[in-house]
Amino acid sequence: MTSSGQINNKNTAPEAEHKALPEGYGTTEAALLPRDPNWMFIYWEITENSRKNLCKTHGEDLFQKGRQVIRVYDVSAADGDGAARYFDIPVMFEAKSWYVNVQEGGRAYCCEVGLVLPDGSFVGIVKTNTVNLPAGRVSNVTDEKWMAVTADFDKLLQLSGVEYIGKGSGEVAKSLAQRWEMLRSVFSRASSWGVSSMSSQNLQKPELAKKFWLVADCELILYGATEPDAFVTVSGRKVNLNPDGTFSMRFALPDGVVDLPVKAMSKDETDSREIDIKVTRATTTDGK
Amino acid sequence: MANNEEKGYLSLVLHAHLPFIRHPEYEDFLEEDWFFEAMCETYIPLLDIYERLTAEGTDFRVTMSITPPLCNMMADELLRERFRRYYSLRLELAEKEVVRTRNTGFYEVAKMYETKFRRIRELYEDYYHGRILDGFKKFQDMGKLEIITCGATHGFLPLELRKEAVHAQIKLAADNYRKHFGRGPRGIWLAECAYNPGDDVFLKAQGIRYFFLETHGIIYGSPRPRYGVYAPVYCPSGVAAFGRDMESAQQVWSAETGYPGDHRYREFYRDLGYDLEYDYVKPYLHQDGVRRNIGMKYHKITGKVQLNEKAPYNPAEARDMAASHAGNFMFNRERQIEHLEHFLGKKPIVVSMYDAELYGHWWYEGTDFLEFLFKKMHHDQKTVKMVTPSEYLSMHPDNQVVQPSMSTWGDKGYNEVWLNGTNDWMYRHLHKQVERMVELANKFPAADGTLRRALNQCAREVVLGMSSDWAFLMTVGTAKSYSTKRFVAHTHRFNGLYEQIVGNRLEEGWLKDLEWRDNIFPEMDYRVFSTEEMEKAARS
Repeated sequence: MTSSGQINNKNTAPEAEHKALPEGYGTTEAALLPRDPNWMFIYWEITENSRKNLCKTHGEDLFQKGRQVIRVYDVSAADGDGAARYFDIPVMFEAKSWYVNVQEGGRAYCCEVGLVLPDGSFVGIVKTNTVNLPAGRVSNVTDEKWMAVTADFDKLLQLSGVEYIGKGSGEVAKSLAQRWEMLRSVFSRASSWGVSSMSSQNLQKPELAKKFWLVADCELILYGATEPDAFVTVSGRKVNLNPDGTFSMRFALPDGVVDLPVKAMSKDETDSREIDIKVTRATTTDGK
Repeated sequence: MANNEEKGYLSLVLHAHLPFIRHPEYEDFLEEDWFFEAMCETYIPLLDIYERLTAEGTDFRVTMSITPPLCNMMADELLRERFRRYYSLRLELAEKEVVRTRNTGFYEVAKMYETKFRRIRELYEDYYHGRILDGFKKFQDMGKLEIITCGATHGFLPLELRKEAVHAQIKLAADNYRKHFGRGPRGIWLAECAYNPGDDVFLKAQGIRYFFLETHGIIYGSPRPRYGVYAPVYCPSGVAAFGRDMESAQQVWSAETGYPGDHRYREFYRDLGYDLEYDYVKPYLHQDGVRRNIGMKYHKITGKVQLNEKAPYNPAEARDMAASHAGNFMFNRERQIEHLEHFLGKKPIVVSMYDAELYGHWWYEGTDFLEFLFKKMHHDQKTVKMVTPSEYLSMHPDNQVVQPSMSTWGDKGYNEVWLNGTNDWMYRHLHKQVERMVELANKFPAADGTLRRALNQCAREVVLGMSSDWAFLMTVGTAKSYSTKRFVAHTHRFNGLYEQIVGNRLEEGWLKDLEWRDNIFPEMDYRVFSTEEMEKAARS
């Protein structure tokens, strides 16, 4: 950090502040953030020191023999049967962040980054805060003083514009983009790339006539990290790096084979690395 | 029921906000234009309407947020000076244009701009003497306009980990509001309508009585809200939440049927900055001489044609259309409210919420539309009464207690616009800054001298980084590099100051430089971040 100390209008030299952000803050910690009823975002940092201490306690080969996971706990108070409900998501600690999908909204979750050993025991490294996810649906709770009959409530939902839920200003901006070229170019680029989080959820609930239904789809998340000033391509297209050198992107994942060559070139173009990822997807349905 | 009694209420809410953009280190800075354009196209034209309506005795009601960053920019000496330069240059060009376009199809529209910029000068200089906040305050004091506040820097509260950050955003905003408007804020616009259950206790601590939610924030609340979005609910803290009516929102916004797409309205993308001969327009461009929009546009939307096939704009024809759209909007509200009143057995309140900059900036005739709407509502009907949320609450204090759901007004209704692959990298840095800021505020309960100044500047850098605009701009991809730079710059400035404070090696020259660059909240008191203050507020 430099100090110019000069206060005048000529002070237009580029600031020394455009260097990359710190890669970490030297503390082992993790945080969990709510995204929507079914998704949370977790980020973590595990210091070298913590790794060494863990190895001291659990053996030098801890990180080789253990599976790296995020353990997701449902900590909703209502259940209270004492049994911890959890599931594990395999990750690589180097990813430093992850999107966590849960089946049930309206509940409280917290996560723990850790290792599952071959004997099934769990070595926790760091826990997150607790997040209360929104339910994403109409409440089952009614109160007597303000009771409405059910049919009326359904009509009230229609009148309140339930069909527009989630079509907030972002949706509106997209609609206007149909006429406004500037925004159109932004959004269409995003969707043809297949990356955009704005276009990720295309699951359509079938028309209301059918009582029971199921929809499912999956997407692909590719992530990585390199020097912040490197030139990176995925499938030949340039990828914009975050200031700390990480990158991630979501792809639509149709049936078939997707080939994703990842290439990084150092800034001075003297060094390069390449990782080729192939993903195969095959979907079958029972046709009902 | 007597025939002349209203059947329900309409509350029109405009959210006026821009991120704090002010660059004294440059003579001339592109993104500062966002503020100047919004001043010319939305904020001053709104005051113009309020002046005219008041002069002719038309009563009206409108609720409008003026966010703390916007208040800070409106009050800032440097930006006031630069705004004078901005409109003076526009006026000079408009005057030349009236001569150049004589006997052409563009004469009427050229005259329109000349009149417009003269009026802007008159209002800005002669009416408000460069202090347009006084203009807004005047109408608030008359009871026609209710000004509400917003988080200190439009911070996105559901993604904060520490309640100290939530408290700081609300407390700084309320104090800044008192400074400018001489009383506390009654209402608040939570940035992006982003609500996290429980955060309302920090509103209550500042005497704020209500806030706004997107539709599903109310209808997914628990227990089920008896009147949907057509009556406010009380959070368990006692603060009221008003829900957005989607029917009136869609009527204005919808891409297919919304008003702004009418072919007689002004085309946004055909601009004199590109149309005029280069040497002639160059003095009105930025110093780099690159052709950009200058905000004067001579064509109408015309239809689905290429930009070069657009027809000349006809101001009178467009104004007539705005009047007719206002009539249509009013007609629909009357029918909606009659229907709701019958269905609910209670007078409904319809809350129509929009970005203020939609009116005038994006939809040029939008301000005419509002003026016609106020007049028609006052003179031409009795079914709907326009009210502010405060007025509604004093008439109808008995409302259901509901815990609203977490929600935002962004795409898909939750936090994804502000938390996705384009911007999720920010949060570990932002949270670390907040954590360190709280640590500093707790460690130094009564600093003075240079240390106090450094701590106050730390607090400024933290709140500037918290602005939801940076994450939003990264998502939509416009001004992505500017917003990234801003976030990174505030992070470095904070971290640098933090290290100097902790290492007891403050460089006063650098501090002075930062105070000069990032001068938001001159009245800043860093102790707003202390855990004790937050806990006191949460208990109140």
